[in-house]
Amino acid sequence: MKLYIHGFSSYRSDFEEIDIKKELKTRYAYDIRRQDSFIHLAVLGAKRLMDNIEIRTDDELYVTSGIGNADLLVDIYQYAIKDGYHIKPFDFINMLGNTTSYYISQALQTKSKAIFQISNKFTYIHSLISAYSSIYQSQKRAVICCCDLISNKSHFLRNQLAVDEKIPLLSSVNYQLVSLDQEEALAEIEFENKSYLKDEILTIIKKTDLTVIASPRCDDLPVKKETVFFETIASNLVNDFIQKGLGLMFIDNYEEKYKIITLRC
Amino acid sequence: MRDIYLSDFVVLSSQGDLKETVKSIRTLSSRVSTFDIKTDVQQLTVPYFLLEDEILAEEKSILNTLENSVFNKVSKIKKHFGSEALSKTVLIIGTTMIDIHLTDLIKKHMNGDDTYTKKLVKHSIDSYADFLANKYGLNELTMTINTACTSTANAILEGDNLIKSGVAECVIVLGIELNSSLMSSGFSAMNLLSMTTQKPFAEERDGLVLGEGVASLLLSTQKSKHLLRGGYSNCDAESITGVSEGGEEFVRVMTNAMSNARVQQDEIDSIKVHATSTPASDLSEINSLKMFKKKPRLSVIKPYIGHTVGVSGVLELSIFLTCLEQGFLPKFPSQSEHAKSKSGINLLNYFGFGGNNVSLLVESDLT
Repeated sequence: MKLYIHGFSSYRSDFEEIDIKKELKTRYAYDIRRQDSFIHLAVLGAKRLMDNIEIRTDDELYVTSGIGNADLLVDIYQYAIKDGYHIKPFDFINMLGNTTSYYISQALQTKSKAIFQISNKFTYIHSLISAYSSIYQSQKRAVICCCDLISNKSHFLRNQLAVDEKIPLLSSVNYQLVSLDQEEALAEIEFENKSYLKDEILTIIKKTDLTVIASPRCDDLPVKKETVFFETIASNLVNDFIQKGLGLMFIDNYEEKYKIITLRC
Repeated sequence: MRDIYLSDFVVLSSQGDLKETVKSIRTLSSRVSTFDIKTDVQQLTVPYFLLEDEILAEEKSILNTLENSVFNKVSKIKKHFGSEALSKTVLIIGTTMIDIHLTDLIKKHMNGDDTYTKKLVKHSIDSYADFLANKYGLNELTMTINTACTSTANAILEGDNLIKSGVAECVIVLGIELNSSLMSSGFSAMNLLSMTTQKPFAEERDGLVLGEGVASLLLSTQKSKHLLRGGYSNCDAESITGVSEGGEEFVRVMTNAMSNARVQQDEIDSIKVHATSTPASDLSEINSLKMFKKKPRLSVIKPYIGHTVGVSGVLELSIFLTCLEQGFLPKFPSQSEHAKSKSGINLLNYFGFGGNNVSLLVESDLT
């Protein structure tokens, strides 16, 4: 399966020290009320995408994440379960995954499909597959949003992500606008609904002339690996390599299975 | 383009399994329980369509129902498409429930229990789908969709896309929605719960009654009585909780669904309305239905099983289509009797928080 990338945006907490709420208010005049940090992060990426490319009202939206809005759950657990207070209406609403996709739709001014979905493994690749299947039918374009938030209050979530303590966890949001149309595309992204075993992946790595980077989860592969982690890190690397105008082969891992994303600019 | 059929409905609602649920609707004998919600100032006892006590007492029986429903579909796929089709079968879950692994981790962390730090096992809200796919040799592409009340309705449309694009051969859609104090408190905090009964589209309507349920179905090219003609999903509400009085967003989702399914207005025999019984949402839906020049027959499921939120897509569809197979169109509480069903095209509406709306068109051959 191939998708063509026409626009992208990124934010990574280790590359930029910004106050996201302030950035949304001052740079984008965005009303941040009744929303939380996860939604703010997602909307920041949406606004940055709109700085780069025009979004159409019928563009479809797929939002994914490793964990979702965990910080909010930590807050709710404290006051509603431990302290026994009634849940606040907007915390209840924001607890639902599609609230984030709603605010992204509003920010992008789209009125088409908006899906919030998580896959336990390869969540970015699986969202690419969902978007591909959808626009194969609709012949529209799709915006893919990958949003991961880790804060001081949710640092213990590395257990949920199954990431070793030596690897720093980051917050990041990354968008791509994709279509099936090659014309005026910045890059082509290729992926499969197929995984490989270690021997197979080693053969593939040997044959490619692209730069190969693997997820920190691929600790047994003899290739360059990212030294920080968030579940949708592949999405960030894709954007980084488009920015540099370079090709990339990214390898992700879950248990004994490996999946590949190939990017050509 | 391949025709996609819906089949193998499995339901567990407050009224029992699919057969028992349909019987309770036909005989108007639905049972409803109550549930206590503690607010900051008072304790409310609200009606709630809870699963039967004996199911809840048997902790594993809900999961057994889900697993058995997947196992049965797996057996059917093997029989009709061969064993190799299993690896091209995708499992999609729809729910609004919070990730139980995550809440367990938060609970342990907040209570100073550090045993969780010793084990690094990847989990997410989709862990259960991943577990089932692995257990039954299904495709490793799984996903859990959370789009509020449209979660499993969207899962059906996503499944349709996966088959039509050639990514999958078959898709199993599974939904689960169980009572949680946070969910019921949240609906209460928003003043959306009725203290009595659901009165869909009635002037005296005063809110919804929540319900628990699990349900699943199979999408495949294997011919069944129910052809999924198509549908549409959009997100275009005026606000995060609000809908327009005129129901323009509902008109748009129904119009686009009919266009995608190549169905004309006057071909629609009946509409399974969303009808939460909340004043604003019902008004919007009532107004949106004025778009039909030739009025289709209206039917409703929620008064019999409650609003089952994320699972309502598959649960209401399964129940509605089975009622049609058994000869009747479930009536509104204000009507005297169920109408007779007939073969034809049915429109099923699902409208949710966050502006997510889905309309599905199903052509049923009851001969």
